[in-house]
Amino acid sequence: MKNECIVGISGINAVDNPGPGVGLARALRDDRQLNVKIVGLAYDAMEPGIYLDWLIDKSFILPYPSSGKDAFIQRLAYIKQSYGLDFIFPSLDSELPLYAGYCGEIEKLGIRLFVPEPEQLRLRDKERLPETAKKIGIDSPGTKVVRSYLELPGAIKQTGLPVMVKGAMCSAFKAHTGKEAADFFSKIVSQWGYPVILQEVVKGDEMNVVGVGDGQGGLIGQVGIKKMWITSLGKIWTGVTVKNRPMLRAAETFVREYRWKGPFELECIVDGDTVYLIEINPRFPAWSYFAAGVGVNLPANTVRRAFGLPYAGNNDYEAGKLYIRYTYETITGLDAFQDITIKGEN
Amino acid sequence: MSRLSKLAVNAEGFVFDPDFGDVFTVNPTGLSILDGMRNNKPAGVIAEELKQKYGVTLDEVEKDIFDFNSQLRLHRLT
Repeated sequence: MKNECIVGISGINAVDNPGPGVGLARALRDDRQLNVKIVGLAYDAMEPGIYLDWLIDKSFILPYPSSGKDAFIQRLAYIKQSYGLDFIFPSLDSELPLYAGYCGEIEKLGIRLFVPEPEQLRLRDKERLPETAKKIGIDSPGTKVVRSYLELPGAIKQTGLPVMVKGAMCSAFKAHTGKEAADFFSKIVSQWGYPVILQEVVKGDEMNVVGVGDGQGGLIGQVGIKKMWITSLGKIWTGVTVKNRPMLRAAETFVREYRWKGPFELECIVDGDTVYLIEINPRFPAWSYFAAGVGVNLPANTVRRAFGLPYAGNNDYEAGKLYIRYTYETITGLDAFQDITIKGEN
Repeated sequence: MSRLSKLAVNAEGFVFDPDFGDVFTVNPTGLSILDGMRNNKPAGVIAEELKQKYGVTLDEVEKDIFDFNSQLRLHRLT
């Protein structure tokens, strides 16, 4: 890219439940032909990405999406004006409705996005999962949507035990007894509100696909993986690339049927020839650097696509490549922390 | 293409299934049986080869092949 492109990335909270941002920044840096500067879009001064200056050039604190779209868009306009901002990768579930809903307004500021339409975004609703799974030719676990505590015992009776108790957007717990299910139910309601989803537990291997749809029914690329080792929060720590055809075909159908635009992750359980769709995430997952590491640089190709630049059409990868997450520490002075706390930027 | 023929197998007996991400290890006898099966050799031929290679009775190698097949079925590889 001849001219510099300033890319904003949120989800730079590289913590025990990591956001995708730091991995996206690494992937963009790997594309040596892309002349990018990276802006971290943080919600808290303690987000580690702010301090990783070899990956992220500058960071800004954003108001929470719940504070309303005016404050949010004003902040983006300020960043555009004061530093420059040509493209944003929204990486957190909570901010996606805002970016998808006000895409036009944000693009009028001169900031490009590559996100799903608001109607496409609703496909992630867990209550719509069985319908979506059917449309893309795979199965889904038995699902009950629970809208009050009174409905809970009846729903457990239908799904059986153990059961997955899930929030409509975040949080998932495996309950082995009715009492455990009731406790998780209350925990989710207090944090995320109603509805709560009960999902039948299905056996098989946990496999995921990360991909990007071009908005016209085609794939910019995709990579399938199997989780080999997860943390107590259920987050991947070690994984391996796989070429499970039924799962990859389902991802292709998903993008074609819904003309999906932007990054996505399909979370699946694979039991022999049966693929269950467990969740759809309308964004890059935290392990996205894995794809770039095996030669399918989805973040870089998304930026290229958004700016009409050529990108690698051959997105093949090798099965059997390992992903190993590890911890790392960085030491810095107080300056960056002071700036981000006092000025909201470093 | 059968799952067996898609397996990545190295000379030390490390086996990777690219469809499901499963990893297995096989001992030298298992590796000989697996190689034979992947090359579509009939069970009788594999048994005869093993008998010659290890200097054991046909009964013993047939039992080994039977056990190995059970393991493959258990892991849904056949």
